[in-house]
Amino acid sequence: MRLPYRNISRFGSLGALLISLLQPLAAAELTVSVVDAGGHGVGGIVVIAEPEFAMAAKHPVRTAIMDQQNMQFVPNIVVIQTGTGVEFPNSDQIEHQVYSFSAAKSFKLSLYAGHKYPPVVFDRAGLVVVGCNIHDHMVGYIYVTDSPYFGRSNESGQVSLHDLPVGNYRLTAWHPRMQEPGGSSLQMTLAVGEGAGASAVFHLAQPLRPSTEHSGDKRWADY
Amino acid sequence: MGRLLIGLAALALLALLAATAASAAPGDFDASADVLAVSSNGTPSFLDGGLGELRFDDNHQGLQLDNVRAGYHGEVADIVHFTVEAISYGDRQSNPVDLTQAFAEIRPFPNGPWRSRWKLGAFYAPISLENRLQGWRSAYSMSPSAINTWVGEELRTFGAEYDLDWLGRQRGHDWELGVGASVYSWNESAGELMQQRGWAIHDRQATLFGKIGGATSVAVYDERLLTAAGAARAGYYLDGTAKYLDTLELRALHYDNRADPNAYSDANYNWPWHTQFNSAGVRWTPSTHWTLISQWLAGSTCSFAEYYYDCWNFAAEFLLASWQRGPDRLTARYDRFDMDQTPVSEPGAFNYNQNGHAWTFAYQREINRYCSVALELLQIDTSLSPRLEIGEPVAAAERELELALRLQL
Repeated sequence: MRLPYRNISRFGSLGALLISLLQPLAAAELTVSVVDAGGHGVGGIVVIAEPEFAMAAKHPVRTAIMDQQNMQFVPNIVVIQTGTGVEFPNSDQIEHQVYSFSAAKSFKLSLYAGHKYPPVVFDRAGLVVVGCNIHDHMVGYIYVTDSPYFGRSNESGQVSLHDLPVGNYRLTAWHPRMQEPGGSSLQMTLAVGEGAGASAVFHLAQPLRPSTEHSGDKRWADY
Repeated sequence: MGRLLIGLAALALLALLAATAASAAPGDFDASADVLAVSSNGTPSFLDGGLGELRFDDNHQGLQLDNVRAGYHGEVADIVHFTVEAISYGDRQSNPVDLTQAFAEIRPFPNGPWRSRWKLGAFYAPISLENRLQGWRSAYSMSPSAINTWVGEELRTFGAEYDLDWLGRQRGHDWELGVGASVYSWNESAGELMQQRGWAIHDRQATLFGKIGGATSVAVYDERLLTAAGAARAGYYLDGTAKYLDTLELRALHYDNRADPNAYSDANYNWPWHTQFNSAGVRWTPSTHWTLISQWLAGSTCSFAEYYYDCWNFAAEFLLASWQRGPDRLTARYDRFDMDQTPVSEPGAFNYNQNGHAWTFAYQREINRYCSVALELLQIDTSLSPRLEIGEPVAAAERELELALRLQL
């Protein structure tokens, strides 16, 4: 996965201040649509707009939550900005053992129920696949991006990103069950100008691969 | 009705025990009870000392308690888990409540895509692709295929299993792979029922401490423990698994219990059966609604039966198609199987053989999370030569219709 946006915090606070003074004050809204081959909106798609220009870092202020309900990660896809903490509460009556050994974040939460652990902070961009060591069918995805501009498409296939500075962006649409010729993501570049909001459309050539998991039913077991 | 009450009392006891255990330590408890209304024209089953291929025969129709079962999965340490599954059958069970599986699993956290797992205890070998519900029950019909019926009635791993998994999905790949090896013993009776009665179709699993066969059996020599052993030699199996996302699962297994037929003992009247086979299967879930499963199993079992060393080859396969939408599931399955004695060493003895096929049609509806109903029609047509020994025609066409009510916690 290509994550081109470079956080400029390495220039120091003075550099950040200078650049923030230099960059355009104008902000625009970007509306991205994701449609299938029939023109119908596709919901749940992660959409990220990564600025292709230097800008002051926007630090995440919230904590995300990936719960465990009925032996599933809920939501099973979370998109966050680098530096965000994610809580993994376990709302099931049974214990889970959450882990990941993805390159972007490796962690283990020993057997627990309820709210036992503080948020896990994801400090590197990339895709983090989360699993439960007890229940192998449980799989969750945390998409970590340096960009502060991201969202997931609604049932109509649309997502609106707000307060984008004027400039060029690389747009990415991703979903673990996308089966496009290039894999599970699509990309395009887009110039966001002053004035009216910008828009873009991702056309999926293939339908999402159907979800066939029975992970929400505790009566299913691995034998 | 008396059996039904005993079964319900057993369920209450199991629930109480499990609730006590659950209050002491977090875990996962489940229980269910299946009650049937049965119509059958089957000949007496092996449970009644006959050679019928179904569980219920024409003497066991009407309201029947299929089973009351409970399972508990808990943890004794961060990476050490245990599973216990208990069952009470409503008909002809030597123990009112017995276990079908009891094992511990050591499952360390993976540090990378490779993960090791160990199982210790009594458990099922990874053969079935249809028995996916807790309690090793079929998720698609009340009665599993002939292959998995036989696995349930004659096979159990009493020993250890090691599995090495490659967790590809955690690395962003679409595949997950696994290989396993097991060393076990005390399962040297496996093959006797196959040799005597051939393949059958029913949901009756052998229990760890119960006896198989009917005490008044004519054809099956005697009821005997699943663990009846001769020299208790160590057997093994090797298996491999491949999973493609949630869509495809492939399994293959080679099994050899390495029993020594020379270890026959007059004292316990148990013949060790040297049983070996290969099995393979595929489960394909192309969409949310459809599941297709096919399994194949073929092997042989050999013994000094009646002082003559004989072998029986056996093979079976099935194709299952299941469609689910919301609370409704429709399943159709076709089984084909045969068993053949070769060679026949005893002068004048006739060949013990079986061949046949079966159709199963099932409809299941989940009313709510605590209650579901099912309607199942089983038609099994067989030719089984040992029926001559009990004065029955070799060929039989048996049919069973079940209306099931399943209550579950």
